[in-house]
Amino acid sequence: MFYFTFLVLIGLVLGLVGVASNPAPYFAALGLVVAAAVGCGILVGHGGSFLSLVLFLIYLGGMLVVFAYSAALAAEPYPETWGDWSVLFYVVVYIAGVLVVGGLVGGDWYSCSWVVVDEFKDLSLLRGDFSGVAFMYSLGGAMLVVSGWMLLLTLFVVLELTRGLSRGALRAV
Amino acid sequence: MNPYVLAILLSSLGIGTTLTFASSHWLLAWMGLEISTLAIIPLMAQQHHPRAVEATTKYFLTQATAAAMILFASTTNAWTTGEWNIQEMSNPTALVLITMALALKIGLAPVHYWLPEVLQGLNLTTGLILSTWQKLAPFALIYQISPMMNPTLVITLGLASTIIGGWGGLNQTQLRKILAYSSIAHLGWMMIVMQYSPNLAILNLILYIAMTTATFLTFKNVTSTKLSTLTLTWSKTPMMTTMAMMTLLSLGGLPPLTGFMPKWLILQELTKQNLPLTASIMALAALLSLFFYLRMCYAMTLTIAPNTNNNASTWRQKSSQTTMTLSITTTLALTLLPITPAIMALTT
Repeated sequence: MFYFTFLVLIGLVLGLVGVASNPAPYFAALGLVVAAAVGCGILVGHGGSFLSLVLFLIYLGGMLVVFAYSAALAAEPYPETWGDWSVLFYVVVYIAGVLVVGGLVGGDWYSCSWVVVDEFKDLSLLRGDFSGVAFMYSLGGAMLVVSGWMLLLTLFVVLELTRGLSRGALRAV
Repeated sequence: MNPYVLAILLSSLGIGTTLTFASSHWLLAWMGLEISTLAIIPLMAQQHHPRAVEATTKYFLTQATAAAMILFASTTNAWTTGEWNIQEMSNPTALVLITMALALKIGLAPVHYWLPEVLQGLNLTTGLILSTWQKLAPFALIYQISPMMNPTLVITLGLASTIIGGWGGLNQTQLRKILAYSSIAHLGWMMIVMQYSPNLAILNLILYIAMTTATFLTFKNVTSTKLSTLTLTWSKTPMMTTMAMMTLLSLGGLPPLTGFMPKWLILQELTKQNLPLTASIMALAALLSLFFYLRMCYAMTLTIAPNTNNNASTWRQKSSQTTMTLSITTTLALTLLPITPAIMALTT
């Protein structure tokens, strides 16, 4: 279990480095997919299995897919991959930065092992993640309304910003 | 803009700030800040020309960065201390990070660079909302964490903001950039007294909002956005020109106008706290700001710029804009000094 968490965390760092090193959006979206997928793995490692599956379904399978299609609209004939020098430079710098800071902050990463922490000692009926969802619909009703309103607001904001095709605010669309 | 969309955006702008005011949990405060950022974005880009879109993009990027930093700091605090309550934040790293995040949100030096450029790309009404309403929510958060903030950082932010706000505004001829640097300087005054008397900071914020609203609305009424077009106001509305001159001097902090009140009280508080050097530097930096306010007054009232004869006798038609807010805020900006104790009691 420790090894699984270890692999997943390395995958997270590599995915994030792959996005931050500024390749073409084509490949940055791929980095985001990888980072989100292993993020779900981290959630599983901390006992949030329901949340992890919901994240996979809605975030990865819904929103990131839409984002990847939008990024594919920005396809270029010669995209900058992670092998091109300008991007590779940033990849190397970021990985070196992670190693340096990791060595400074968590100096004994090589000599001890993590214990994966879960919420309760035994497998219980109520777990943190889906109890939280249940709370959203009962005690946290106001939060649900605010979250729903915020999603609706985002829709209107995006529609207003992209209104007008080439005469609008985002002329390339 | 479609009136339904405008209603949704303006109401969400209000909801966002109200949510941050009402929250004691960092996540809810963050949500309120994000709602108000999202809601103002289409308002900023509503004229769809490239300069407005550029200002919108810059605003979104800086505010999103600041919101991410707020999230990062609050989760760090929750991770190390288990506390999500705003007023119980105790992790020093998280406190420094959140102070810098809130400084980025409102445009304090040294993270002020976005404010002049963003304000310049907006029309005067949206710029007014940006300068006044959007400062309220982060300020509420700063007020709540003020006892725990790192004192050196707060004084550095305050001093740097006042000095840079004064010096940066000296070379500007565009009114919106001048008002941006004025905002930076006033926020510096608010930060410097935040740890000693947060109520004085609130007082300063309220009075600054009144004075800035009066200024923005005056410029909107005579539709001037440059120093050169300010010189034309005397023939359009002599009364408003006089009042605008007084409002600008009030922004500069001259007695017997309202703007003197916060500066006076803040200098008194700093002296009581045994910080005479800080108080002196603040007073001297305020002189820098005073210079560009005086330059605007000079252009408006003390000199008649070279112009054609036709301009000296323009038709003085009734303005189609409602001037109620302008008259109320101008009155507030000019006449509140004699009732200082009452105003202080408002913010205790």
